[in-house]
Amino acid sequence: MKNLKYREIIKKNRDLEPLVENNCYRIAILSNIVIHQAKDICEYALRDQGVGALVTLGEYDNIVQDSFKYTDKNAVVIFWELCNLVDGLQYKYRNFNSEAVDSLIEKVRQEIDLVLNNLSDISVVVFNKFSSLIFNDIQLHANQLDRICQQLNNHLEKHKNKNLYLVDINKIISRVSVDGATDMRYFLSSKALYTIDMYKEYFSRIAPIVLSNSGKTKKAIILDCDNTLWSGVLGETGFENIEMFEEIQQLAVSLASRGVIVCLCSKNNPEDVDEVLKHHSDMVLRDEHIIIKMVNWKNKASNIRAIADMLNIGLDSLVFVDDSDFEVSLIKNELPMVTTFKVPNKRHEYSRLIKYIEEVFYAPFETIEDKNKISIYKEQIKRQSAKEDSLSIEDYLRSLGLTIYVEINQVDHIARYSQMTQKTNQFNLTTKRYSERDIEIFMQSDNKSVISISVSDKFGDSGITGLCILEFSDSSAFIDTFLMSCRVLGRNIELKFIDVIVDFVRKSNISVLKSRYTKTLKNDQVSDLFEKLGFDLHSIDDKGKNYLLNVDNYFFKNIDYIEVCYER
Amino acid sequence: MRDKIIAIIADVLEVEASDLSEQSSPSSIESWDSLKHMNIILALEEEFDVELDDEEITDMNSIALIILILSEKLG
Repeated sequence: MKNLKYREIIKKNRDLEPLVENNCYRIAILSNIVIHQAKDICEYALRDQGVGALVTLGEYDNIVQDSFKYTDKNAVVIFWELCNLVDGLQYKYRNFNSEAVDSLIEKVRQEIDLVLNNLSDISVVVFNKFSSLIFNDIQLHANQLDRICQQLNNHLEKHKNKNLYLVDINKIISRVSVDGATDMRYFLSSKALYTIDMYKEYFSRIAPIVLSNSGKTKKAIILDCDNTLWSGVLGETGFENIEMFEEIQQLAVSLASRGVIVCLCSKNNPEDVDEVLKHHSDMVLRDEHIIIKMVNWKNKASNIRAIADMLNIGLDSLVFVDDSDFEVSLIKNELPMVTTFKVPNKRHEYSRLIKYIEEVFYAPFETIEDKNKISIYKEQIKRQSAKEDSLSIEDYLRSLGLTIYVEINQVDHIARYSQMTQKTNQFNLTTKRYSERDIEIFMQSDNKSVISISVSDKFGDSGITGLCILEFSDSSAFIDTFLMSCRVLGRNIELKFIDVIVDFVRKSNISVLKSRYTKTLKNDQVSDLFEKLGFDLHSIDDKGKNYLLNVDNYFFKNIDYIEVCYER
Repeated sequence: MRDKIIAIIADVLEVEASDLSEQSSPSSIESWDSLKHMNIILALEEEFDVELDDEEITDMNSIALIILILSEKLG
């Protein structure tokens, strides 16, 4: 987006409008300044990443009033500028006595509390921290403006709402420069403070928050080796003479510890790369951090496709980094859904790219499963090779020693449950995305139950990998959400899980279980799941199918090689 | 340059360039309000790499005047 002019953004944004019809993500931007250009730039930053963003701008200086109005949005962004808390605060502050300052701070604090309370059920609230950077020319000591700013920010930080994302806008302004980020002509004439460049920078920076909230998180990074992980070509320069790019390796290790899948895709002799991974004293990235190594002389597009297949994840959740123009444009052409980065030719520019890559993997929350993911995926790959050796699928499944652990309304797992609704695309019957706050509300309500399963086998524990949200009415129950993580598929876990759900509904003295399949671009693999599970098709509409099941007639699958436990 | 200016204004106003002429102005084009006017100026400044002052911006209230003032500015 950086290289696009405002006019081009408006045009491209309009071309992406069809996205909104399919999958609309509603955003309101509330502000006490004029931010008219933010609409197209915000929409484009997200539509370009596949989110059908539709932005509504609040009324000028109506943040409090608008916070009552926009409670139906998926996200709200708040530009609350210090300089316009009172008209002319940026110069009036000099003659404010401490009483005036205190009463201003108190007023704004109360307004903040009211706004955040009104927006507490919205999945994402992006709130820019107050900044005195723009109007403060006194750099030597803190002044009244700094103090007001500091106190308001302290107050903001006391809010622990899970949906609140505080943005350190000073960092963004500094990246653009104060002069480049603001336009005093328009601030004077129309209270429009920020420039196009500022909006471009700002919305590219906050886009990852929305992306992770709308199920568009990147899950894996695929790294080339020569001139990407180290300087030089291993086969020519040799083991002794390659020089490590430590920063990218440090990033890869840190991503791995946060649950991102790290893979290699390099044209090299596999033994040579293994030798470096095992024995080169300068390497930071080691075998233990890497899930899949595609070190061979094959076409990189087919290698990357193979990686996506092995991990059972979509191509659009992959990030590929390579120094070769040829490889980068090959992937851009053949697999445009993969996010591709080219390592810059100038070494000093690499650092900037690395920070950018890190932002792409922004995740607002971290769960225990994330930390264990490396071992989980390694086990999965092991299981796949075990699959190839064993005779029949039944024998194979029996040999795994499968157990599922069922938990109901378990508050400890709220973060994980929300994350699963956000990230699961393929085995997801209704693809409803829920925030942590949503899940919390479900657990507190009398007519909803949140049921999850963890799966373990002789290779290890996959953690929480299945989720069902049931909604009860007087005589029936409805499967609002039914999803499973790809890493436990192919083991008939879903059959056992549905047995558990039907059993739970029956014990609640409900005889009718309703369910639904809502079609998306990615969940075709479960389009006839409910038919297979023995539900009766009730009606079909243009977005999916509705089912009914008479619980008393349900035929329990009773798969004997999966044990069910309700306690650890 | 005339055509380029009209094309930019058309993009910002989200209308077809063929719907605009040199006579077009905020009073003849429905979507051309004061906020869109600001967007037009910002787009033109970015495109031609100039900075207009307040007076020039206020005077630019038709396409003909926009073309005139920009041509003078760019020499």
